[in-house]
Amino acid sequence: MPPATEHSESDMKHLPKHLQPRWRYLGVEIETWPDADFDRGAFQRDLWYAAQNLYGDVGSAEADLTVLSFDLADGDGETIVRAYRGQTDRARAALATLDRVDGHEVGLRVRGISGTVRACEERYLNGRAGGEEQRDVVFETEPRAAVVRDDRVDVERDGGFAGATRLDFE
Amino acid sequence: MYEAVHAHPDGDSTASRFAATAERYGYEGVVVRADDADPEYERLREVANVDVVDGREIVAPDPQHASGAVGNARPKHTVVAVRGGTDSLNRFAVEQARVDVLARPFEGTRSHDGDQVGGDGDVNHVLAKAARDNDVRIEVNLGPVLRDRGGGRVRHVDKLRRLKRLLDHYDTPYVVSANASSHLQLRAPRELAAVGAETGLGDEWVREGLAEWGRLAERNRERLSESFITPGVERGRYEEDD
Repeated sequence: MPPATEHSESDMKHLPKHLQPRWRYLGVEIETWPDADFDRGAFQRDLWYAAQNLYGDVGSAEADLTVLSFDLADGDGETIVRAYRGQTDRARAALATLDRVDGHEVGLRVRGISGTVRACEERYLNGRAGGEEQRDVVFETEPRAAVVRDDRVDVERDGGFAGATRLDFE
Repeated sequence: MYEAVHAHPDGDSTASRFAATAERYGYEGVVVRADDADPEYERLREVANVDVVDGREIVAPDPQHASGAVGNARPKHTVVAVRGGTDSLNRFAVEQARVDVLARPFEGTRSHDGDQVGGDGDVNHVLAKAARDNDVRIEVNLGPVLRDRGGGRVRHVDKLRRLKRLLDHYDTPYVVSANASSHLQLRAPRELAAVGAETGLGDEWVREGLAEWGRLAERNRERLSESFITPGVERGRYEEDD
């Protein structure tokens, strides 16, 4: 067996430790109207557009903003966004200006930031809360269909939804 | 820190949904900037874990119409804002000590039929000084920074940066808001601060503007309370001088 050299056929050698990129992982909460449907690719694309619009291609490359795990269903989602260490505030700013993905309105909040993916998952991702149900409600004095998730009630109406809570129907 | 929001029917989400989201996002309270909205504040405050402030945002085409509305709103609502957007409305608002906030001085209003009213308003040194002298806060509207694109956003960021210089120079009070009209448009204080840092407004400066809504609400509640007569004078027992 030949001795390993700098030019061995195996994968490229790891960078020396002090040259390895250092990343931070942002645990991000996503909320949408119940009919929104988009995947990791669409979220990644629109996040990079948002970053590009805010601070340009170079700034985006400096920040990184790779979207790792991603999950969205029934109006609730969560994702991990990677940023270079020292760039987490810029990443936060880009996320703040991401108001639509694939045309769907999104609410976004950074739950927290960790040094590893695993820590970020454990601390800031809750997994599926689940439990949405359809309900008929009266809103704006009209009977309407609504999607209920915990205390939140999203009411279907012409041309979109209205956001309410159970309190609004007591 | 507080946010000021457009609740249903002015916006797409009810005051109670805004309150629930604002709590999750780390706010201490929301100011409902009601035009048509009329939530049940007492009940909301009982249930919500954040403060819900009874605010009124006056939307009028010109100062003549705005003036009567301000007089009506002042004794009834904790926070009274006038939506600007034209030079004459902006000037009117900052010259009225009865007004708490000049809202959206640059944007104007889109009417129900989609016509733009105003939107060419500006704030100069004269208005900044008048606002300070009359204790009127000028709103720094981050909404277009968060939700617009292209040239409109570039011009808006430029206006906000120039506004910040004026406000700082004349020590004019200000408030900051994302002007959310649904709970999905809310952003957490740290996120808005990060946008402030990125746009040159400064993260601390943005936090100050969010906190100012809360200070304003507290001061006005005290003023609306029955014991208050005028600054420095309250109904009550004399302090004994020995």
